[in-house]
Amino acid sequence: MGMRYKKILLFLLIICITTISGCWNKKELNELSIISALGIDKNEEGEYVKTFQIINPKNVAGALQGGGGGQGPAVTVYSATGKTILDSHYMGSTKISRRLYMAHTNLLVISEELAREEGIIKILDAFERDPEIRPTTTIVIAHEAKAEDIVKSLTAIDNIPADKVVKTLETSERVWGGELKVTLQGVIKKLTDSGTDPLITGVRVIGDPEKGKKIENIQASELDATLEADGLAIFKNGKLINWLHGDNARGAVWVLDKLKKTIVNLEWEGVKDVIGYQVMRQNTEVSAAIKNEQPEITVHVRAEGDIREVRNPVKLSDPDVLRKIEKLAEKEIKRQIEGSVEFAKENKTDIFGFGDEVHRSYPDAWKDFGKDWQETVFPEIKVDVKVDAFIRRTGLRNNSYLSDYENSH
Amino acid sequence: MEQAKISAYQLFVLIVMFTVGSALMLPLASEVKQSAWLAILLGMGGGFLLYLIYHGLYQYYPNILPTEYVQKLLGKTFGRVLGFIYILYFMYLAARVLRDFGEMLLTFAYEDTPLFIANALLIIVIVYTVRKGIEVIARTGELLFVLAGLLAISGLILIIASGVIDTANLKPVLEKGLGALLKTTATQTLYVPFGEVVVFAMILPYLNKSEKAKRAGLLALTLSGVTLALVAAINISVLGVSLLSRSQFPLLSSIQMIQIAGFLERLDVYFMLTLIIGGFCKIGIYTYVAIIGTADLFNIKESSQLSFPIGLIILLLSIIIASNFSEHIQEGLQIVTLYILFPMQVIIPVLLLVIAFFKNRKKNNN
Repeated sequence: MGMRYKKILLFLLIICITTISGCWNKKELNELSIISALGIDKNEEGEYVKTFQIINPKNVAGALQGGGGGQGPAVTVYSATGKTILDSHYMGSTKISRRLYMAHTNLLVISEELAREEGIIKILDAFERDPEIRPTTTIVIAHEAKAEDIVKSLTAIDNIPADKVVKTLETSERVWGGELKVTLQGVIKKLTDSGTDPLITGVRVIGDPEKGKKIENIQASELDATLEADGLAIFKNGKLINWLHGDNARGAVWVLDKLKKTIVNLEWEGVKDVIGYQVMRQNTEVSAAIKNEQPEITVHVRAEGDIREVRNPVKLSDPDVLRKIEKLAEKEIKRQIEGSVEFAKENKTDIFGFGDEVHRSYPDAWKDFGKDWQETVFPEIKVDVKVDAFIRRTGLRNNSYLSDYENSH
Repeated sequence: MEQAKISAYQLFVLIVMFTVGSALMLPLASEVKQSAWLAILLGMGGGFLLYLIYHGLYQYYPNILPTEYVQKLLGKTFGRVLGFIYILYFMYLAARVLRDFGEMLLTFAYEDTPLFIANALLIIVIVYTVRKGIEVIARTGELLFVLAGLLAISGLILIIASGVIDTANLKPVLEKGLGALLKTTATQTLYVPFGEVVVFAMILPYLNKSEKAKRAGLLALTLSGVTLALVAAINISVLGVSLLSRSQFPLLSSIQMIQIAGFLERLDVYFMLTLIIGGFCKIGIYTYVAIIGTADLFNIKESSQLSFPIGLIILLLSIIIASNFSEHIQEGLQIVTLYILFPMQVIIPVLLLVIAFFKNRKKNNN
């Protein structure tokens, strides 16, 4: 190999290194608008209104370092309208100086009105198809609000409102169990299954949405407008038809086996809400059987937990008493689950995936039931709820000081 | 045929990397839904038989390339024509895999980059490697095998740890019936990727210890078959049937579901690395085989001289074989398997083996 040839080769290599590594698809950080949340509404003309919550990096950094940063809000919000989801997305570029970047979008808010009237089926394809947006993006419904109100509200502690909502759902799902953090992909999966329908958590603005937009909102100790997770939206044929609240919502979360911890209030000697039973871990198994040519569902819950509060003297040191309380807890949990099953049956929508269970266990029988599962079979289905509750500990005390107090008076 | 030797272990690695290669990323046997993994295992069983056929031919002619022994079996003219057809087959499949590779890169990462550039960059690297001969390809394969193994193991741990696997999705098994399963096996998984090991008929003569060819090949097919079936089962468990059948790249969708501890997420790079390693090995082997076949058939002494022209043909072919991705995939499923893979991987080798059997029996009798 001659010297000359080597020189040419070296020259070519340098050219390659400098040009090829330049990347065709470069996306510089300071040329991007990082979208943290997206809201979707529909206006009177029937067009989609998309609201972009864009992170304002300077102000987020300032808050994290404890001052020294910008004075403005952590996010800036823009809206754009269009006839399709993608259309409204690109119309956004007429208002936003930088390239819209969705890889960090972790919240998608859909307005209740849109979910009720048009349904959510037609709007999700654009998101599933896009390689930039994550399939694990959380979806919520703006409960009795416009999606833009949720997206525009500023929040304290977690400066980025999208983070605040997602973290609230995560924490609430973990310690209370009345909410579900559902993802884009999870919703699409349930929409496409014939034997189940999705449940999506609602988020509402408590207070005045107009005040929520202003930076003053987060400069007070009590916010003028705050975002709160409220209820589970139940869907049928892709349209929102009703809301599950309170114990009914929690019953549904029990059945879906998504509940991690929760508090169950128990009645004691005829007085309501005396004992606080904290469930520490639980496991739910749903199984299907076919009896007399009709499907039957068994929901088997196994819960373990502690007694963490008594408001009347209860002799917790006595194992027999604990056994009695376990029975009460089983009854209460069963009541919650049955309440939620009844609610779903009335609405004729199988939010628990009982149909899927029948499909998996009896693929042949499913051919008969599957066709009108939601309309006729599910509302009549027999659901047997079995609960085994166990009390493991009673906290740092055995009997409550309430017993001593009563004895001394 | 170049003067080079590879070890049985290197052959094993090459077969594994080749068969797992691009098959790992594309949906396999999605018609049978929950039973896709079964179809892959059945395909592997068929692959064993096919490999034994190729191996049987190899035992009759352990020291010469198939392009040469077809001339002994069928006579000079027919043998040359058939050899030439096989070279076209290797080049066409190299182009197909290159197209798969480029389409994947463009779909999920480089949407603004022209397909030509993505494909050209990979083929340049491959041409460079292939010029160096089979020994270098084999050693590169060994290195990449370790990397791919680490990726596979860590990926498996991550996907289990993130708790996204729901084995209930695997039920009901055999919903479409046994017939549909056998049909999918016979029309798809048998050929892609297992029947594709027909290219190794061109590589077996380089093996230093010919008696180890059978063991290495069958073990390699077992490892790749089990890997592919496991990945298929994981994809179904993570994604569910409906999403799986809509996914262009199920493995990517599964990887994107991983979310651990709030920061281990969006691990698309796993897919990217698997894609590049698998694509490199598979296209590399096809390209190499096309080159040595051409050199053998046309008596070209320096086979490495052919690297650039053949690389260029494969590159151009990869661009013109289809006008869009859906067309490319449909061609692969409906036309290529029936009219190209079936005759090239099954019918012709079986006929050749029968002819070789009778010719050699005559010889032995004499």
